[in-house]
Amino acid sequence: MCKLQLSLAIIKPHAVKNPVALSYIRNVIKNKFVVVKTKRVTLDQETAGNFYIEHEEKFFFNRLVTFMSSGYIDLHVLGHRNAIQLWRTMLGPTKVFKAQFEDPYSLRGMFGLSDTRNVAHGSDSIASAEREIKFFFPDFSFYEWHTNTEQLYRKGPIIFNKHLFQHVRKL
Amino acid sequence: MNSLKVLLRCQRNNVYIKRAATTKKKMHDPNEEEQLPIFQYPVSKSSDRRLYVWGLAETGALGIHSPLGKHRGSKSYKNDFKFAWHPMRSSFCERFDVIQIACGYGFTVAAIKTKEQHKVFGTGINTDSQIGYHAPRMGHPLEMLLSPAPIYIPYKSLETKITGLAAGRAHTLVLTDNEGVFTLGNNAYGQCGRKINKTEEYRGSMHSHNIKKLAAEKIIDVCAGQDHSLFITESGKVYSCGWGADGQTGLGNFDNQGPPGLVKGDITSEKIVKVASTVDCVLALSDKGELFGWGNSEYGQIPVTSKQQQVNMSYALINFTKGIGKIVDIAAGGSFCLICNEQGDVFVWGFGLLGLGPTVHHTANLKQIPPALFGRNEFNPESMVEKVSCGIGHLAAITNNGDLYTWGRNRHGCLGLGNNKDQHFPLKVGIGAYVLNAKCSVDHTVAICKPFV
Repeated sequence: MCKLQLSLAIIKPHAVKNPVALSYIRNVIKNKFVVVKTKRVTLDQETAGNFYIEHEEKFFFNRLVTFMSSGYIDLHVLGHRNAIQLWRTMLGPTKVFKAQFEDPYSLRGMFGLSDTRNVAHGSDSIASAEREIKFFFPDFSFYEWHTNTEQLYRKGPIIFNKHLFQHVRKL
Repeated sequence: MNSLKVLLRCQRNNVYIKRAATTKKKMHDPNEEEQLPIFQYPVSKSSDRRLYVWGLAETGALGIHSPLGKHRGSKSYKNDFKFAWHPMRSSFCERFDVIQIACGYGFTVAAIKTKEQHKVFGTGINTDSQIGYHAPRMGHPLEMLLSPAPIYIPYKSLETKITGLAAGRAHTLVLTDNEGVFTLGNNAYGQCGRKINKTEEYRGSMHSHNIKKLAAEKIIDVCAGQDHSLFITESGKVYSCGWGADGQTGLGNFDNQGPPGLVKGDITSEKIVKVASTVDCVLALSDKGELFGWGNSEYGQIPVTSKQQQVNMSYALINFTKGIGKIVDIAAGGSFCLICNEQGDVFVWGFGLLGLGPTVHHTANLKQIPPALFGRNEFNPESMVEKVSCGIGHLAAITNNGDLYTWGRNRHGCLGLGNNKDQHFPLKVGIGAYVLNAKCSVDHTVAICKPFV
């Protein structure tokens, strides 16, 4: 018995705007993971800056923030035994120009445009996954998740609701 | 037994009679040749063009819509037309005289020679209304077009001609001969050359913006990066608008620019004839054949002495390109640049599959691709490369014989070589026509060609 791990996936604006890429990514997500929550939002620059506060010193901070606030982004809370690692390997290397040769069939290798327009974001550790999920889903209770809902999503019965794009309890 | 023999004999007789009937010799009529009708096979006009497209067809960007078949079982893959691995001749160009074409991220726009309202056609992804408003039902705009549809642009006069087209990630620039530039699509960074409205909804938008003149000068050329736009005016000045986070607007800052501003730095005193940009790196060519550049330089595309990764002003790259003579064509990809000079030699620098060998290269200096790979040899010493162009990861060169060579990253079959493998060195694409111009995008390529006969 292995508990489900949570990770946050953010589909970046350019991939959301490409129906072909989006349907491919969504297919991968719903077949590999349990989708716990889904939301589509637009960020302003301030929120995006707060989200990427760890990169504030880097030269690409302005680029990243203006890019993330340029359109809709899709947020998915993913559940899997090994969610964080699995989502990051599916994404491939961060830098698209390198990813397209190192791992051409990763999501970034297939649909990435440049090092900033790199298809999606994935949490890099359990601590950052918790912070990021709390950032975008303030009413998501980790206590509730660990005590009740985690078992439901692990053992079922659940069913995928394609309108909500998340797994729900099967009635 | 006897009856069987009789039957066989009968059959033999029959066969003999038939053979005798067919072996009768025909007399050759000496006047037959004159009686034959003479066919004049159609010879193309000099203005006839052919359009060849290849790459990812799933987005509809190729404008080739094959209706779903009814194959079952092992042939069911024939039902979906997702990739065109080889160049396919587009039927759109047979119906209209295509004069200009541009490839964006998953969409293609083409301008035709006409005096009617619909001069520009678009096909492909339309989530930001980059190819206009198309709604078969009121209030339900299409997000994807599988075959070319006319784009409504409010021209003042129907005599207006389209002289240039450019397409970025989600915006289109249409240059006309005397009404300036019309821009359509996403303006989140100001790439349409108007003020940024943060709450604007681009899906199903009918907005098009007209930039008549820049500083009272006529615009003569346009170029679009993924999220920025560049304009050249009559006196050779370069204006830019859009995303500036990598300095690709060249305005001396890293901000988004709404209304176009004059690019600062070394090019202000030069007459620029061409700018090239695909992603975030910009190259400019002056009338003297000298090279300038600005924008993203993470992989050393803009080799300035200070080792900046984001160059926000134009710099002359004259020392860098010293010794190769006059440059005639330029192209800037995602992480590399490609130029060709008067002698028809091709040079690359940057990072990626540059055509220099089977490994992914990073070169800080100009490297020449051996001219033998572009068909220059003892039997064909005149062959030289005249035009170059770049997608994000793939490169293309056109020789004076009208041959197209492609190499680099083969994303979704955009090289047109019949497979999905990355190509390490330039290879000729099998097109049955004389290639005049090739436009590369992220995952598809379009070539305008002239028929051989």
